[in-house]
Amino acid sequence: MKAGIALLAGLFLLLTGSGARADKMRIQVWHQMIYGHRQVLAEAIGEFEKENPDITIQATYRETEELRSSYQAAAMGGSGPELVYGPSDQVGPFATMGIIRPLEEVLPDTPWEHYDPLAIPLYEGRHYMLGALVGNHLMLIYNKKLLSTPPTTTDELIELGKKHTVDLDGDGKIDRYGLVFNYTEPFFIAPFIPAFGEPFMNENLQPNLNTAGLRDTFQFILDLRDKYRILPKECDYETANALFKQGKAAMLINGDWSWGDYKENKMDFGIARIPRVSSTGRWPRPLVGTAGYSLNANLKDPARLAATLRVLKYLTSEKVQALFTERVGTLPSLLSLREQEAVKNNPLLRVSSEIMDVGTPLPVVPEIRGLWDSLRTQYQKILAGSTTPSEAAKNAQSMAVAQIKDMNEILTPDASLGVVKLVILAGALALLWLLRKNALGFLKGFYGPQRFVYLMMLPAFIGIFAVIIYPFFYNIAISLSNFSLRTFQDWSLVGFHHYIATLSDPKFYSLFLKTVVWTLANVFFHVTLGVFLAVVINQVLPAKGFWRTLFIIPWAVPQYITALTWRGLFNQEYGPINLFLQQYLHLSPVQWLSQPVTAFLACIVTNVWLGFPFMMIVALGGLQSIPQSLYEAAYLDKANAWQRFRHITWPLLMPVMVPAALLGCIWTFNNLNIVWLVSNGGEPGDQTHILVSYVYKAAFNLYRYGYAAALSMLIFLILIGWSLGSLRAQFKKEQKS
Amino acid sequence: MAHIEFTQITKSFKDHAILKGIDLDIANGEFLVLVGPSGCGKSTLLRLLAGLEKWDGGDIKVNGQSLKNLEPQDRDIAMVFQNYALYPHMNVAENMGFALKLQKKPKEEISRRVKEIAGLLQIDHLLERKPKDLSGGQRQRVALGRALARQTSIVLFDEPLSNLDAHLRSQMRVEIKRLHQAVKSTMIYVTHDQMEATTMGDRIAVLKDGRIEQIGTPSEIYHQPKNLFIASFIGSPEMNFMEGPVVHKLPWPEARRENQILGVRPEVFKISQGPLLPQELELGSFQIELSENLGGQQMLHGRLEGQTVRILVDSAEQFYMNQKVPVKIDLTKSHLFEKSNGQNQRLQEVKDFKEPQCPPGFA
Amino acid sequence: MIKRILAWLSVLLFAVFSIYPMLYVLGVSLRGDNAFQSQSLEILSASSTGKNFIDLFTQTDFLVWMRNSLWVSTVTTFLGVAFASTSAYALSRFQFRGRNTMLFSLLATQMFPPTMLILPFYIILSKLHLIDSFLGLFLIYSSTALPFCIWQMKAYYDTIPKELEEAAVLDGCSRWLTFYKIILPVSAPALVITALFSFMASWSEYVIAAVVLQDPQMYTLPLGLRSFQASLATQWGLYAAGALIVSVPVLILFISISRYLVSGLTMGSVKG
Repeated sequence: MKAGIALLAGLFLLLTGSGARADKMRIQVWHQMIYGHRQVLAEAIGEFEKENPDITIQATYRETEELRSSYQAAAMGGSGPELVYGPSDQVGPFATMGIIRPLEEVLPDTPWEHYDPLAIPLYEGRHYMLGALVGNHLMLIYNKKLLSTPPTTTDELIELGKKHTVDLDGDGKIDRYGLVFNYTEPFFIAPFIPAFGEPFMNENLQPNLNTAGLRDTFQFILDLRDKYRILPKECDYETANALFKQGKAAMLINGDWSWGDYKENKMDFGIARIPRVSSTGRWPRPLVGTAGYSLNANLKDPARLAATLRVLKYLTSEKVQALFTERVGTLPSLLSLREQEAVKNNPLLRVSSEIMDVGTPLPVVPEIRGLWDSLRTQYQKILAGSTTPSEAAKNAQSMAVAQIKDMNEILTPDASLGVVKLVILAGALALLWLLRKNALGFLKGFYGPQRFVYLMMLPAFIGIFAVIIYPFFYNIAISLSNFSLRTFQDWSLVGFHHYIATLSDPKFYSLFLKTVVWTLANVFFHVTLGVFLAVVINQVLPAKGFWRTLFIIPWAVPQYITALTWRGLFNQEYGPINLFLQQYLHLSPVQWLSQPVTAFLACIVTNVWLGFPFMMIVALGGLQSIPQSLYEAAYLDKANAWQRFRHITWPLLMPVMVPAALLGCIWTFNNLNIVWLVSNGGEPGDQTHILVSYVYKAAFNLYRYGYAAALSMLIFLILIGWSLGSLRAQFKKEQKS
Repeated sequence: MAHIEFTQITKSFKDHAILKGIDLDIANGEFLVLVGPSGCGKSTLLRLLAGLEKWDGGDIKVNGQSLKNLEPQDRDIAMVFQNYALYPHMNVAENMGFALKLQKKPKEEISRRVKEIAGLLQIDHLLERKPKDLSGGQRQRVALGRALARQTSIVLFDEPLSNLDAHLRSQMRVEIKRLHQAVKSTMIYVTHDQMEATTMGDRIAVLKDGRIEQIGTPSEIYHQPKNLFIASFIGSPEMNFMEGPVVHKLPWPEARRENQILGVRPEVFKISQGPLLPQELELGSFQIELSENLGGQQMLHGRLEGQTVRILVDSAEQFYMNQKVPVKIDLTKSHLFEKSNGQNQRLQEVKDFKEPQCPPGFA
Repeated sequence: MIKRILAWLSVLLFAVFSIYPMLYVLGVSLRGDNAFQSQSLEILSASSTGKNFIDLFTQTDFLVWMRNSLWVSTVTTFLGVAFASTSAYALSRFQFRGRNTMLFSLLATQMFPPTMLILPFYIILSKLHLIDSFLGLFLIYSSTALPFCIWQMKAYYDTIPKELEEAAVLDGCSRWLTFYKIILPVSAPALVITALFSFMASWSEYVIAAVVLQDPQMYTLPLGLRSFQASLATQWGLYAAGALIVSVPVLILFISISRYLVSGLTMGSVKG
């Protein structure tokens, strides 16, 4: 037996080891390349490894947003991949946080002039990224089977659009749209802003949103949807893509990354500039950027650095760029390659270059995030009908300025720091004093006769300490500090600033209210549905086992799958719910996810779906312990089903349901996954947030770690207070009876 | 075999004293019953011996060795629990053989012993069953079997029959006594049922409020109760107690004092007909209110000298309501108790008329 | 009579409510094209094909992910059950200093918002060089499932009569043997639930795994499925096929222990 354990332990340790091979140097590259591009990357890597047997390259794919947050987390922890590949707008944040290195330091004789300036964005005068392609820009893509020539002005766009928006089979549902695109995302309307008025960022790289230009852009999109009706009522990226591929859209606004997908689907498509705005005569200016490699600032070891630089040079070399161009049609960043046949004679690339001529470089400064975010919030509000374009423009500007100020704020210790230090000291002393007996007794216990007990608890205790207690205190520290974008590497305690800011922000209270509503609504339905089904299964239906199994399914499905599935079900265009409403009930479709109230409802429905099985199981258990004789007596007393339920079932079920409901409240209050995934991060316009999802956004999207930490603490304190309160109330009730 | 000595055992739980100084000497191979009302500490005493609790003061010695630092596992004591405590996941055979398995005895030996005990208890047809498939009585026997299979020198019983119906209980009482004769271990039996105590014990120790009120053979306790509590507790049907003028009728010097209580068992009363024997005394006129038919006998409830008494007579005689009959008592079998402290005033006297002595084990 | 009809109707309605989303996913997984959406409500249609499933197994690393997930989840379950059962036993049976504090802090751990644990996790793990190894996952997964499991097991232990252990002790069991040979077998229903929750905690967990595992050969199923998604080009067919297959083991587990679930969860609730 003991030998068996030793063997298992050895095997265990062996198998938990990481995949690194000791003899080869392993260079990690994180990227967000889409599927088609990944294959090419793999090919390029394969070649390199053949020629350089001492190096292995491990390429890891992450979705763009996640790439950003996990790289931040990794780099913050002192590790992370040697190279990180992503869009140029990640340069600003990463450079500010000090987690990527200026390339001048390590590659001083790079021939920068050989590259398209767009591929080597400058930040604060230095190069932090070397791009292998240029583009990522938006354009008008049209289905050649439906249109032979694309529109060149917006008036033409509207005309053609109207012509092609048809209801083919007369069932009241539009079968083909003139134009589709992901119009809820600011990036996709950004090109129009400079065409209607001033650009959205001024020369000092500060937001310039309260302009007529922005207002008119908003109005234009609204008109496309509501007045001219050439856009679907609700359209996200997936929907636009699907409609176009199915031939149900004549025109589409999308980027060059999508060509591969359309080619694969054998679409006959053409590209063109986004049409000139008729009223101003100006071309929309798509944002052109690059996707490129940055160097991890944590990389210090000279040998490793040398190897990484070899990889970097290879991946941005002529050879690899040409490979990409050949396979997936990207525009290389090396100017020399642009002269080559492959590029010059590629019709798509030629037109693409023309499009880029009216483009404008994508800003790389971190401020752009604050700008996108506030733009998105206001814009989605307009689309939902809760505000007007001019109001929105004004609010967007003030929001952007405020967010940027917050992001750039380097808090300095204020008066409250002294108080904080005092409180912490006093608190620690008080804690030690209170627990002195406990702690000493606890420690002594290890040597006493009860040693067995303490040993039994040790592993769990260590685990819980490391994994929950330690992060908890770490979080307290962050909440009292100025940890944020600009103080990423060297943060310090500053006092209660974040707590004061949070508690004086009306948003906190509205979020709190929303979270309470969320929790109560969910738990109410969970319990009601659960008890109802339990009673019916237990008392009315045959084959209890079958029904029990059936209703457990929602609980068994992993949460992330649930969330995405329901998001799909609620899709305005393709979701079965709307299809059902239209085809069977002949009701008009509901724009579930783009209106705040219905989006919130969608989240609730999803959470109810996955939560009621738990309550049902608990109720089934509780029902089993109610003696049948009680029902028989009631039956003889001529009680009907409802009375039996009310006077026997419910009171005897309560002691079982109450603890379960309390636990359910705590879990629901803290449930991040569903709200975040179903509403796609709080859409529309940040109005579908509960406290915990807002914490996530503040931390990982807005870089406001200190604020997020303080908010987490407040959430925790709310829950503790509430559960202590309800425990006491329960205790008192038990004492009375 | 084991000779057990309790010396000045005290035990408290949370400032509440359960045992207040117990001295008890148990002979080798004896069947001792600890009896008393709930809360008297009898179960606690048993558990102290088993090692399931630790005592505060005093000592317990087995064969001269103190048990003070000996773990329960090492004490060679087996116990039958009130709720049987059978291992639900093992069948009967495994339950009974578990301790032997822990002692690493060879499989054949374990199997042989288990079958032997099972045969003795008539549960050998149940060896493959799990506890949940057994009736209460069967579970009881398995619990017994588990304790006996170990062949320990001491076997403890903690109210083992209290969950059985009356019929099974009387059956099991006899079974346990038989087992004691067969196995010959020292057995200590805790119960609150005085009938079990008197029918089963070689000796009985009556406990109240953490002290031993009296130890003796069942016969001694029955005929010579030291105080009112013991007299009322032991013996079924319960003794009659009378106060007031009727006491003064007694020819004893102690009876002339104030606050004395006369104790007479129902069967000691007789209907007075004809001449009185020297030890008999006529007490008065008994008015019958109710008659309970007990089979071969009947219990007459009624009033005597203003108090309610019960009289046990043969059921062949016919009586009617409100009939008045003269009754007499045998003075050698009657008792006088001091009201304030319950002490039996005439203990010595009664000793003159002893019952014939029987050897232990046949009470 | 009407009552029966109403009862049947509502149950059927909720049955549809429960199953439909998964049927929908099934429909997507059977679609030939990579479109997430189609305009019909049909699950199966003329163009249904098993291609996505085949591709899933032959063209992606799905089997690798599955192997990894199985390994991680099994070990986590084992650790979780081992630690929860022992600690809960100590908490249930023994009075010791700090017991009540421990009990309450177990409950309190459930209240902490998960988001803010991520960054400190990463720091601990990288300081201990446990990044990119399964060991870090074992540590975190088993520890985060522990509080609930300990609570469950303790509640169950509380219902086991003390006499059972006393009998074992008299029969000659040491404390450890009493626990191992008597208490554990009797607690089977609660152990099963603890095992299930530990398994689920790791099988479906995404965020922590994303932080810890870098090498794609070590990806667990949630990470693997996520890689089918790109914000601008998701492969819905593969994703749906993968999602179904991922859900199946958990479903089977749930079904096979569902009767234990019923009694086991109540134990905890009744005793509070």
